[in-house]
Amino acid sequence: MLFLQLLANGLQVGAIYALTAAGFSLIFGSTKIFHFAHGATFAIAAYLFHFALAGLGLHWTFAVAVAALSAVVFGVLLDRLMYAPIQRHEGSFFTVFVASFGIGIVVQNLLGSVFGRGFMSVSTPLSNSIEVMPGLYLSPLNGLAVVVAIVCFVALHFFMTHTFIGKGLRALSENPELVRTFGLSPRRLSTYAFALGSLLVVPGAIFTAAGTGINPAVGHHVMLISLAATIVGGIGSLRGAACAGLLIGVAENLAMWKLGTQWSEAITFAILFFFIIFKPSGFFGRATVS
Amino acid sequence: MTAYILNLLVLISVYAILATTLNFIIGYAGIFSLAHAVFFGIGGYTAALVAMNVSPEFFVAVPAAMAAAAVTSLLLALPALRVRGEYFVAASLGLQVLAVTLFSEWKSFTGGIGGVIGIPAVELFGFPVYKPWQFLVMALICLAIIIAITRTLVHTSFGRSLKAIRDSESAALASGKNITVIKTFSVVLSSALAAVAGALYAFYMSFINVESFMLDTSVMVMAMVIIGGTATIVGPLLGAALLMLMPSALTYLTFLPQTEIGSIQQIVYGLAMVLLMIFRPGGIVSSHPGGGK
Amino acid sequence: MSAEPVTARETANPAPGSGFTGSTDDQEVLLEINSLSKNFGGLQAISDVSLNLRAGIITTLVGPNGAGKTTLFNMITGHIQPSQGDVRWQGESLIGKAPWRIARKGIARTFQDLRLFTHMTVEENILTMMEPGSWLWQPGGKSRKARRYSKVSQIMDRTGLTAKRHTRALDLAYAERKFLSLARIMATDSRLWLLDEPASGLDPNSYNLFLQLLREEVKEGITVCIIEHNLDIVVNISDRIAFLDQGRLLADGEPETILNDPALAAIYFGER
Repeated sequence: MLFLQLLANGLQVGAIYALTAAGFSLIFGSTKIFHFAHGATFAIAAYLFHFALAGLGLHWTFAVAVAALSAVVFGVLLDRLMYAPIQRHEGSFFTVFVASFGIGIVVQNLLGSVFGRGFMSVSTPLSNSIEVMPGLYLSPLNGLAVVVAIVCFVALHFFMTHTFIGKGLRALSENPELVRTFGLSPRRLSTYAFALGSLLVVPGAIFTAAGTGINPAVGHHVMLISLAATIVGGIGSLRGAACAGLLIGVAENLAMWKLGTQWSEAITFAILFFFIIFKPSGFFGRATVS
Repeated sequence: MTAYILNLLVLISVYAILATTLNFIIGYAGIFSLAHAVFFGIGGYTAALVAMNVSPEFFVAVPAAMAAAAVTSLLLALPALRVRGEYFVAASLGLQVLAVTLFSEWKSFTGGIGGVIGIPAVELFGFPVYKPWQFLVMALICLAIIIAITRTLVHTSFGRSLKAIRDSESAALASGKNITVIKTFSVVLSSALAAVAGALYAFYMSFINVESFMLDTSVMVMAMVIIGGTATIVGPLLGAALLMLMPSALTYLTFLPQTEIGSIQQIVYGLAMVLLMIFRPGGIVSSHPGGGK
Repeated sequence: MSAEPVTARETANPAPGSGFTGSTDDQEVLLEINSLSKNFGGLQAISDVSLNLRAGIITTLVGPNGAGKTTLFNMITGHIQPSQGDVRWQGESLIGKAPWRIARKGIARTFQDLRLFTHMTVEENILTMMEPGSWLWQPGGKSRKARRYSKVSQIMDRTGLTAKRHTRALDLAYAERKFLSLARIMATDSRLWLLDEPASGLDPNSYNLFLQLLREEVKEGITVCIIEHNLDIVVNISDRIAFLDQGRLLADGEPETILNDPALAAIYFGER
C-alpha cells in the first residue's frame, strides 16, 4: 500500500513539477534567457496566495487570481525592466544569469523577512485526506492537481499550435531569424513568453502552498527541478520538460520507499546526471554542441 | 580588538582564496559553478580527517584535500562540460544540493549535522601554527601563491584558450580547440585550489560542520567575484573584503532590525548583482564601464 | 533582362576571377557534399544538396536570405549535424566529428556575426588560433613560440591591424573587426576557408585590401568558399558559383553560365 501511496503523491508532485518546468522551458526555449528567477516567481505566487487566503481571508478564487496576477506581473516586469536593458548592450549568458540569480536572492530574503523563514502551509477543505483504501490516504488536492495539470497542458498545446502568438513563440525557439521575416517582434513575443511561462507556475505554487508547504528557499528547489526537467526533457521541448517533470516527481516519491525524504533531491540529481552522461539531448531534444 | 581584526582578516583571506579560484572559472573560462562551497567543504573535511588520523602536517593534509576535491570535481566536470554551459549550472546546483545531504548524512566522514570537532592545529614541518597572526601569515601566503598561479596561467596559451572559449565557444571550436578538455582542466584546478581554502578554514576554526558549505556559501562567493569584478586579480579580493565586512558594518546601523542582518546582507548583494549587470557588467573593478566581463 | 548581370561584370576589377585560368571542372575535389539535408523541427533548411568544392579556386554561394547558405557551412564544420547525407574531406567523412577535430583537419571559417574573442586583444585573438593544444604549454618549445609571434606580426601587417595590436576586439571599428576575423583564419594554416559574408559593409579601401588579401591567399593554394551578396564579388572574384534557394541547390557552375541564366537572375534580383 505504501507503494500506491507514494505513487499517488508522486503523480501529484510530478504534475506540479511538469507545469513549472514547462514554464521555464517555454521562456528559455523561445527567448534564450536563462531565467533563474523562475523559482522566485514560484515563491512569490505561493506566498501571495497564502497571504491572500490565510492573511486577508479572501475567497479562494480571489487568492488564485492574486497569485496568477502577481506571477505574471513579476515575470513581465523582469523581462521589461531587467532583461531588456541587459540584452540591449550585451546580453551574454553571464550577465543574464547573474542578474536573474541576484533577483532570486533578493526575493528569497524579502519573503523571508516579511513572512518568516519557517515552513508555511495553508489548510483548505480540500487538503483533508481520506482513507480510500487501507493504508492509502488521498486528498481531493491530489486528484485536483493532476486534473489541473492536464487541463493546463491541453490549453497550452492548443495555444501553441492554434494561435498566432503561440506559433510565433514556437518559431522563436526554432529560429530567431525566422521570426523577423514573419514580421513579428522578438521583444513583444518575449513579453508573451514571460507572461505565459510565469502563469504556468501558478498551479504548482498554489498546490504546494496548500499541500506540502512552502519556505523562502523554495525557489532554489523549483529551479533545480525546472533545470533538471528542461535538460532531461530536451532543451526547447515543452513536451519533454513536462514528461521529465512528471518523471522526477514520481521518482522522488517512489525513492522514499527505500530512502529517507532527505534524499529526494539526490534522486533528481541522479536522473539529471544520468541524462547528461547518456543522453544529453534529452527525451525529445536535439543534440546541441554550442 | 586586535583579535577581532585578526579573525576577520583570516576569514577574508580564506574567502579571497575561494573568490579567486571561482573567478578563474567564471571570469576566464565562462563556467558558472554553484558548487564552489562543495569543494570548500571537501577540502575542509578531508584536511580535518587527515589531520586527526594521519598527520596535521600542512604538506600532508592540504595535498590530500586538494586531491579529494580534484577527483570530485572531475566527476562533475567530465560529463557536465561536454554539453552546453547551462548544463553545468544545473549540474553544479544539483551537486551542491546533493553534497549538503551527504555532508549531513555521511557521519563517518563529516560527523553528520554535528560536524567535526577538535581538529588539531596545523603543523608546518612539525611546528604547530596556532597563534592568529601566524595563521594569518600562512593564509596570506597561500592566497598569494594561488593568485600567482592563476595569474600566470591566464597569460599562457592555456589562458588564451580559456578566454577564447568564454568569448565565443563556437569560434573556439572552429579554431580547433578541444573545449571539453580545456574547461574540465580549469574546473579541476579551480576546485583543487578551493580545497586549500577549506583546509585552512578547518584548521583555523578547529571545528567544521555542514552549515559552512551550503548553497548560501556558494552564492556568496559568486557574489564576491561578480561584485568585485570578474576576470581581474583585484576584483575577487575586493569582493571578498566587502562582503565579509558588510555584516559588521551593518550591525553599526542600529536602525536596522538586528535579527534581519543576514537577510539584509543578502538583499544588498543580490540587488548589487542586478544593478551591476544592468549598468556595469564588469563589476566594480572594471576598466570599461558597461563594457563586459 | 538577362543582359543585366553581364553588364555588371564590366565594373571595377580588370582581372576577373581569382586569377585562376582553365576549366574549374578539372580541379581536384577537396570537399565533397553528398545529398545533404537538414530540417529544424518541421522546417526544411537544406534539402538534398550535393556540391563539390574544388581545390585552389573560389566558389561563391549565392542565393536569397534564408536559402540555407550558413546552415551549409555549419554542417561542414560540424557545428550542426545534418539530418541526412554526407560531407567528405579528401575522401574522409566528416559526419559526427566534433567541430574542433574538423577544424584541425584544415577547414577554417569566419562567421557572419564574426564571433571574435571580444575581450581579448587583437594580438591574442590571432595568437590563440595557432595554439590548439589543450594543456598548459604548446608543443615545439621556444623556437615555435617565436615563430608564432612573428607570424602574428606578419598577419597584423597584412591586415592593417598592427597599430591596434593591444586593442580589445570589442573596441575595434567595423572594418577592423572584419579584418580581424580574416586574420584569425589566416593564422590557422588551413587549406579550406569558409567565409560568411566577409565583404559586406566594407568601405571601398577596405574592400580593395580584402580582395588583394584573398587573391594572394588563393595564389598560395588556399581554397575558398564564400557566402556573399556583393555582386562585385560574385561576378569578379568567383571561379565557380553555386546557387541556393530555399534549401535547394538550383545550379552550380562557372560564373558565365550561372549569371546568364535568366531564371536564376530573376530569383536573385527579385529578392533584393
